[in-house]
Amino acid sequence: MRSISLYRDNGTWLCRVHPFTKLAYILAVILVPLLLGSLWAYAAAIVLDICILISGKSLRRARALIIFSFTIIVTIFLIRGLFDADNITPAFSLGPVVFYQEGLMKALRTGAVIINMLLSFSILVLTSKPEDIADELERHGFSPRLSYVIASVFSIIPQMMGTMDTITDAQRSRGMETEGKLSQRMKAFIPLITPVVTTSLINTRERAIALEVRGFGSKGKRSYLSPWKKHRGDRAMTIVLLLSIAAAAAWRLASWLS
Amino acid sequence: MAFIEIENLRYRYPKTERLALQGISLSIEKGSFLGIIGPNGAGKSTLGSAIIGLVPQFYKGAYGGHVSVGGKDAATVPVSEIARSVGLVFQNPFNQLSGAKDRVYDEVCFGMQNFGIPSDEMRRRADETLELMGISAFRDRNPFDLSGGQMQRVAIASILVLRPEVIILDEPTSQLDPAGSEEVFRAVEKLTESGITIIMIEQKIDKIAEYSDRILLMDEGRAIAIGTPDEILSRPDLEEHGIIPPAPARISRALSFALPDGTFPATQEAAVTLMEGRVGFRKDEKKGEAQASAEELLRTEDLSFSYTEGNEVLHGISLAFDGRPTAIIGQNGAGKTTLAKLMKGLLKPVSGRILLRGRDIAGNTAASLAGDIGYVFQNPDDQIFKAKVADEVMFGPLNIGMSEKEARKKAMEALEMVHLASAADRNPYDLDLHERKMVALASVIAMETSVLILDEPTIAQDDRGKTMISGIIKELAARVTLVISILHDMDLVASSFRRVIAMAHGRVLADGSPEEVFSKEEVLSEAGLELPHTAALAKKLGAEDILLSDASFLAAAFRV
Ligand SMILES: Nc1ncnc2c1ncn2[C@@H]1O[C@H](COP(=O)(O)OP(=O)(O)O)[C@@H](O)[C@H]1O
Ligand SMILES: [Mg+2]
Repeated sequence: MRSISLYRDNGTWLCRVHPFTKLAYILAVILVPLLLGSLWAYAAAIVLDICILISGKSLRRARALIIFSFTIIVTIFLIRGLFDADNITPAFSLGPVVFYQEGLMKALRTGAVIINMLLSFSILVLTSKPEDIADELERHGFSPRLSYVIASVFSIIPQMMGTMDTITDAQRSRGMETEGKLSQRMKAFIPLITPVVTTSLINTRERAIALEVRGFGSKGKRSYLSPWKKHRGDRAMTIVLLLSIAAAAAWRLASWLS
Repeated sequence: MAFIEIENLRYRYPKTERLALQGISLSIEKGSFLGIIGPNGAGKSTLGSAIIGLVPQFYKGAYGGHVSVGGKDAATVPVSEIARSVGLVFQNPFNQLSGAKDRVYDEVCFGMQNFGIPSDEMRRRADETLELMGISAFRDRNPFDLSGGQMQRVAIASILVLRPEVIILDEPTSQLDPAGSEEVFRAVEKLTESGITIIMIEQKIDKIAEYSDRILLMDEGRAIAIGTPDEILSRPDLEEHGIIPPAPARISRALSFALPDGTFPATQEAAVTLMEGRVGFRKDEKKGEAQASAEELLRTEDLSFSYTEGNEVLHGISLAFDGRPTAIIGQNGAGKTTLAKLMKGLLKPVSGRILLRGRDIAGNTAASLAGDIGYVFQNPDDQIFKAKVADEVMFGPLNIGMSEKEARKKAMEALEMVHLASAADRNPYDLDLHERKMVALASVIAMETSVLILDEPTIAQDDRGKTMISGIIKELAARVTLVISILHDMDLVASSFRRVIAMAHGRVLADGSPEEVFSKEEVLSEAGLELPHTAALAKKLGAEDILLSDASFLAAAFRV
C-alpha cells in the first residue's frame, strides 16, 4: 500500500520553490484573471501555468489531470451550448442540434477557470511533498491537526481503495454480480460502498486512539526532527505575486469608480 | 503505594446495559510482567483503556471507582499527559501508523515531536529503540510497505521512544502470522530485560505462561484471580472461564505430576524438568494413514499464477480434493491465499486448470460459482452491509436463487450453528468483532455450498470460539461439504483436520494426514512451521510417534 501522493522530486528548480510561494502563485493566477475579467487574462494565466510546468519538467505528469478536466469541459460545452437559458444567437449546427453563441462563451469562461485552477494546483501537488507543506504550515502556527490531515490523506486514501478490492471480492463470493449490465452494477452499489464507509469509520476511530496515546492532543510545545530552515530565497517572488493581486484589485476598483 | 492502583473500578460503555467492568481492584508494581487472560468480552481491553485514561475520557460512559497511575488520576488527567508514563499497543498494526510519515524513522519520532523532545535527544532515542526492536534496517522504508510483524514492531518502538514506565500490549500478535508473532514475542522478551513494566493481554496462553510474573484471570468484567502462572493455569475452574490450560499443565495433571506446591507446570520447560525420565511411551504400530474418501470434488492441474509478469507466486500446483477437511499451512507469502482465490475463481490462473466435479471453472465468474464454492474472508467488516444480522446472512442465499422462505430457514440454521440465533434481529455493528466474524462465517455457511474455503477463521477468536469453529468444521464435514482452511493455529490443525497441505514459496512441500506432515522435520523447518503444543511436549519427553492430541498422548504414555 503506497502513497498516492503525486509528488516526485525530479531535481528541477520548481521542486525547490517554497510551498508558500506556490500557494501565493495559485492565489494570484486564480484571482488576477477573475478581477480583470478578460478572457485573454485567463489565456495568459493558462499559458503561464504550462510554461512553469514545462520548465519544471512536470507537464507530462499533469497530463492525466488535463485529460480528466477535458471530459468535464466537453460536458459543460454541450450543456451550455445547447441548453443555456440565455441562448439566442445560433453559432453553428451539427445536423439537427444547434449550438448557441451565448452558451458557448459562458462555457469557454468556465472551462478556462477549471483548467487554470487544475494546472496551478498541479504545480503545487506535483512538485511539493505533502509532508513538507504540512510541516511548513505547522511551523507557521497553523494547527497540527490541519497539517496532520494534509500529510496523511495521501496515504490513507489508497488504503481505502485497497479495501475496496477486498470488499468487491467478498461480495462476489456471495454471488453478487459486479460486472455486466448497468442495472446489475447499480444494485451492487450499496453492498460495496457500505463496508467501505464502515471500515473507514472503524479505522479512523482506532487511529484516533493510537494518535492520542502518542501525545497528539498534547498542549505543550512541539518539537521537530530537523531545525527549521527559514526559507527566504523565494520571498521576492511571493511579494511580486501578492502585489499583482493587489494591483488587479486596485484596477478593478478604479474601473468601478470611474 | 504501587505504581498503578485500581480501586473498585466499575464502568459501562455508553448505550449499553451491562457493566464492562464490575468492581476491579488491583495494584501493579513497577518492573513486573503482568499477563491478563480471559475470554472475549471479559473486559481486558477495557481495563487496559482505563489505565491510560481512554476509559472514560475518550469513550465516555458511566464510570465509578478510582484509577491512579504514578499518582495521577486516570479519569481526569488528560490521556496525552498520562501517555508520558503509560504506552498502549493494540492489535491492528496498520491502524497504529500515523499515516502522516513516509519513513519508519519519522514515524517513530512522531510521538516525541508531540511531547516537544529536543531533536538530538529524539535521534538518540530513535536510533537506540530501532536497534532494540531489530528494525534499524527499515529506517528509511515506507512503514506501509512492511509486513504485519515489522509494522507491529514499529508500533511498539513508537511507544517505547516516549520512555513510558508501563507498556500495555493488547493482543499485539492476534492479527499476525506465526513468524510475525514470533518476531513480536522476541521483541517483548527484549523488553522484559529492559526493566519496563509490562502488561500483556494475550490469547496465546503458552506465551503468557512463559513471560509473566503474575497472571490476572478476568471474566465478565471481574478479576477472578491473580497469581503466578502455575497457580492460575492449574486452577480447576479455568475452562469454566473459557480458558483451555496450556498443554504442559493439562498433560501433567492427567499423569498426576504435580509440583511441590500442588500446582501443575504451565510452561513446556518446567514440565520437561518435572517429567523427564519419569514417563515412557508405547510405540504405536498401526500408523494412521490418510485414506482418500471416495468422491473427488475439486482438482487443480499444474496451476501457476503470477500477479506481475515474471514473478511467479505459484509453480504448477496439482492437487485433488475429496471430502476430508483440509488445512493449508505455511508462512505468509507461501501462496496459500492465492491458491484459495484461484479455486474460488477470484483470480484467473496464468496456466493450468481447475476442475469442479470434473468441469473446468475457467469460464465462470466468482459470482456464478457462489452456489458451489463458498469463501469466508478474514475481515468481516469487508462484507457486512445490512442493518440486521439475519438479512446479512440471507444475502448470499438470495443471490444464488433461493426463495425468501428457504433463505431465511438456511440463515437461521447457520446462525444456530455459530450460536448467534438470538442475535438475528440485532445490528451487526452492535456485536463485537469476534461475533461479526461468526456472522460472516454464517453468511457463507447458509449458502450450503459443496466446497467451503476459510481464510484464517481463528484470528480474533478465544478458546471458546476456536472450539466452536472446530465443531463447525466437523459438522460440515459430516454434511459432505469439503472444508478447506488456511490456518496458522497448529493446535486446531491437529485437532480438526484430516488432511494437511504444507506450502512454501509457491510449492506444496508435504501433503498427507496431520501425523505424516508433522513428522517431516525438514518440511516443518522449510515451511517455517512449529509442532502443535502437545506433540512438541511429547517429542521433548522422548516420544517417537507424533502425538497430536491429549488422548493419543495419554494412550501412549505411562509413568516409569
Ligand atoms: N466501544 C465499545 N462500545 C460499547 N461496548 C463495548 C465497547 N468495547 C467493548 N465493549 C463491551 O465491553 C465488554 C468488555 O469488552 P472488552 O474490554 O473488549 O473485552 P476483552 O478485551 O476482554 O475481549 C464487552 O461486553 C463488549 O461488548
Ligand atoms: Mg480485547
